[in-house]
Amino acid sequence: MMLNVNGLSSGYGDVTVLEDITFCVESEIFTVLGANGAGKTTLLKTLAKLLPVKSGTVEWRGETITDMPPYELPSRGMAYVPQEGNVFPDLSVAENLSIGGLLDLPSREERLSEVYELFPRLVDRSEQLAGSLSGGEGQMLAVGRALMQRPEIILFDEPSAGLSPQFVDTLFQKILEIREKQNVTIVLAEQNAVKALEIADRVLVLSLGKIHLLEDARDFDKNRLMEAYHI
Amino acid sequence: MAYLIFSITLMLVYIGLAQLLHIQFGMLGIPNFGIVGFWGLGMYSVGVLNVQWDFSFIPALILTLLLVALVANGLGRLILKLEGQAMLCATLAFSAIVALLVITEKWLTEGVVGLGTIKYPFDAGAMTEPLYFLILLLIVVGIQLFINKLHVSRLGTLIFSIRDNEELAASLGKDTVKIKLELFTLTCALMGLLGALSAPLNQFLTPNMLVPSVTFAVWIALILGGKEHSMGAVLGVFITFGLFDLLIESYLPVAPEYAVMVPNFKLFLYGAVLVAVLMYRPRGVLGHSAAGARQELP
Ligand SMILES: Nc1ncnc2c1ncn2[C@@H]1O[C@H](COP(=O)(O)OP(=O)(O)OP(=O)(O)O)[C@@H](O)[C@H]1O
Ligand SMILES: [Mg+2]
Repeated sequence: MMLNVNGLSSGYGDVTVLEDITFCVESEIFTVLGANGAGKTTLLKTLAKLLPVKSGTVEWRGETITDMPPYELPSRGMAYVPQEGNVFPDLSVAENLSIGGLLDLPSREERLSEVYELFPRLVDRSEQLAGSLSGGEGQMLAVGRALMQRPEIILFDEPSAGLSPQFVDTLFQKILEIREKQNVTIVLAEQNAVKALEIADRVLVLSLGKIHLLEDARDFDKNRLMEAYHI
Repeated sequence: MAYLIFSITLMLVYIGLAQLLHIQFGMLGIPNFGIVGFWGLGMYSVGVLNVQWDFSFIPALILTLLLVALVANGLGRLILKLEGQAMLCATLAFSAIVALLVITEKWLTEGVVGLGTIKYPFDAGAMTEPLYFLILLLIVVGIQLFINKLHVSRLGTLIFSIRDNEELAASLGKDTVKIKLELFTLTCALMGLLGALSAPLNQFLTPNMLVPSVTFAVWIALILGGKEHSMGAVLGVFITFGLFDLLIESYLPVAPEYAVMVPNFKLFLYGAVLVAVLMYRPRGVLGHSAAGARQELP
């Protein structure tokens, strides 16, 4: 058991968005689907400890992280790629990649060349300010930076948002590659259900902050998704 | 000559305050509108210790540094998690409280009557003031070297990342609140140090020295010079204080019959320069130092 979420409620201030969410993530690609406002971002932010847990528990590799501050997670192998604002615009691409600084210098260099190998377009732009990258390049940078942490799990929040269909294909291919080559567990929140289902192992559908459906991607019936979206 | 030395020593105090604001606001994004509070607390603390309780200058200075650091740390714990505008109001309110306490706590500060005389910590005859100027110069140069180092260091990159996106920096493993609190405490304590060193410069302290216009003057200088540039503070104070307050107001060679016009002319020119800079160089005269100017990370 990797990530274990039990009876989780969370939200913003007095507003409760997520209610009684229970699931666990194994070594897999775990996809979270749901319409706009279903609570995908809220769920990922809560798992990344950027939002306080109102009730319930979150366990990661057997350790309770329910009340842990966010900055304790990277050293425990958890990386988070937010939906918005996922790069530092005033820092260069290279600086964005090395900011985590979890690794010692030799392994960082090694890791950096792996990231550049995965995303060759970042090499030419390494001195460019991240704020001047295109949406797709920015997304690559955000994924690359998460990889710099040598994580065991990556929480991706809508990596496909705002990208051309062609680029979404490439990006999802990379995510699959990360999953298979580096054995990283992936939690993927997506609007783009069709694309996400292509690479998913299991699917969680959120609807108005509650679990609508949780099952294997193979057994997944798209009509049930429609139900969730049309509430 | 004595007036000139006094003026440029005072200018150094403003440069120091603007440099520290550069770290707080330009680098970390903390809008400290309570500068006069920290500066005034330092000044009055040395004054009270020195005049009322007969501490000699150096022990008074050390106690003052500790006091301001403690106050800044307490305030920082309260406000650094707030949104920008809330921080702005809170720091402004803090400086108003300091000014108010100075007026009401007469047993300590003599209130509106004023507190004095605070002597220079040493007596070198005619060389006292020039020597004191040198001490302040050393401090300002020291702060500048620290800033230059900060801009190219890993800590600097981390600071910029916090300013850019604090939540993201936290999710990358950085205890952002702690870093902000430590730097806020340090820089506010140094503002207090500059206040403490201003006490002998002013000799006689009155509550009307603790007005918000001190804070605003520092802000205007920094914004004018370039809040993100490592030299923005220095250049900004040179323009506002050096060019306008010192050169134009006191040393412009004008015929006596026109002398009455100088202050108005100065204000007019000052406003015009401010508007022009903000229109044509919204990030200040020096703009900001691009990432290319920073060194590669180790
Ligand atoms: N800062 C906030 N304060 C209060 N409510 C919020 C806040 N952010 C989001 N919400 C609310 O929480 C609910 C879930 O939002 P969330 O961002 O998690 O949805 P989402 O599934 O990620 O949607 P999208 O696909 O549009 O990104 C929404 O009803 C939203 O209005
Ligand atoms: Mg979202």
